[in-house]
Amino acid sequence: MWAQILNATIETVYMVGVALVLSALFGIPLGILLVITGPRHIKPLPVIHRSLSVVINVGRSLPFIILLVAIIPFTRWLVGTSIGTTGAIVPLTVSAIPFMARVVETALLEVDWGVIEAAQAMGASTQQIITKVLIPEAIPGLVLGVTMVAVSLISYSAMAGAVGGGGLGDLAIRYGYQRFRGDIMLITVLVLVAMVQSIQSFGGWLASRLNHR
Amino acid sequence: MSTVMIELEKVTKIYGQGDKRVVALADVSLQIKKGEIFGIIGLSGAGKSTLIRCINKLEEPQAGTIRLAGQEITNLQGKELRAARRKIGMIFQHFNLLSSRTVFRNVAFPLEISGVKPKEREERVRSLLDLVGLADKINAYPSELSGGQKQRVGIARALASNPEVLLCDEATSALDPDTTKSILRLLQDVNRRFGLTIVLITHQMEVIKEICDTVAVIDDGRIVEQGSVVELFARPRSAAARRFMKGVLHTEIPPEIQERMSAEGPRQQHGKTVRISFIGGMAGQPIISSVIRRFQVDVNILYANLDFIKNMPFGSLIVEITGDEANVARALADLTAQGLKLEVLAGVGPDS
Repeated sequence: MWAQILNATIETVYMVGVALVLSALFGIPLGILLVITGPRHIKPLPVIHRSLSVVINVGRSLPFIILLVAIIPFTRWLVGTSIGTTGAIVPLTVSAIPFMARVVETALLEVDWGVIEAAQAMGASTQQIITKVLIPEAIPGLVLGVTMVAVSLISYSAMAGAVGGGGLGDLAIRYGYQRFRGDIMLITVLVLVAMVQSIQSFGGWLASRLNHR
Repeated sequence: MSTVMIELEKVTKIYGQGDKRVVALADVSLQIKKGEIFGIIGLSGAGKSTLIRCINKLEEPQAGTIRLAGQEITNLQGKELRAARRKIGMIFQHFNLLSSRTVFRNVAFPLEISGVKPKEREERVRSLLDLVGLADKINAYPSELSGGQKQRVGIARALASNPEVLLCDEATSALDPDTTKSILRLLQDVNRRFGLTIVLITHQMEVIKEICDTVAVIDDGRIVEQGSVVELFARPRSAAARRFMKGVLHTEIPPEIQERMSAEGPRQQHGKTVRISFIGGMAGQPIISSVIRRFQVDVNILYANLDFIKNMPFGSLIVEITGDEANVARALADLTAQGLKLEVLAGVGPDS
């Protein structure tokens, strides 16, 4: 039993970890693009801004369980399988990207406009404003945002378990629920709670360390 | 001193469209000389902020041209605009320092973006922090500084790229009076030391009085008056200028004296209560005692005030002149002839 729980925990960490990194890789640039192309920001491009916003909203409005099955052909085409942890990473990432983009947007919009304008007045280019002003100034907010995405990914990963994705969610459903193993159900729940707690506290600690405001 | 540094020609800026159209600047023309401290005063919403932000094209006017050291700013784009902006320093009401950077890295920011080498950067930042008196705060974060210290960092940062012009956007409005004075002194110091042209906007006449050479009064998007500061204080022509002056020069009659005047009136038959305003050298002459001697009148000083505008004495007196009717009239005529500004506030007599 303990070996199963350990194995499932590793699977969850793997799915969430990879999905988090991939969604950050795509979601953070998208969030930045979304912000800077907005009206009255440093690079207003209304068409790009609006289309991006629509796409992100569509992604955000699909319930994860629907997205999971809806993109099975895409998943299969991309990684060759739609089951197992690798198969679960694709829908997890796809659903986390728009979430990440919105979280990044919120964090970047918190940056004091006066500071951005000061950088413009000093002759900073758009790229310099992004890398030297927007991102560094938004770091505490970005860390908290990524933490939030990580926590949601843990809960999504449990759903992925329902379609054979592996991980703690899978274990809890198959053993805890279908085979009436109350002890496994309890331990999985405790492990999940511990995971969320530690991610949240770590994120909070890191954000406050990086905050000089 | 006499070459033109910044020239605005018929600059017009309109916000919004249709019913919501607001004219922020209407046909504004200004000439700012090299090396002077040029103040622009106006109430909030008068357009002064828009005006200063047009100079480095943070705002883009719809019409008109702005030239800086002969170069037209208004049609610059992209790379050229960024290069021109590096020659224009700017400080802000809310300082706008990067909260994620230490004092050192804030001042280094403009050098960093213009590609100055780290070693050179460090030397420059250290000398700038010495200049503004914050060498000991080099590793502090802005949140650990007071408002005055933050503005000093702002000034050091603005000077980092050796600008020819420094724009001050309400730079002292968020500071207490003492800190305001010390920041103004620092600005005056860098103006003299580097021959830096300073343009500042404010709603505080105190700031104009303290350091400006030339002033423009802006009201409702238009420049209603401009000239030397001394000239403005001596002879304000616009209603807007007079409104600003009231608070600073105490030209209002104090309520105690007003009460006294209405309660008693001049004590003698042929008395007059007069306000005498003077500027410059007159302050050093024994005007009152000479009037008393020459015209045999009594002069009772009710109120006196002396101020300095850029080292020029400026003041007003409220006096009660009593005596023989003809003598009082002659005394008043004599004072006027000496170039003093007289205003009869109360009194009985042939011309009251």
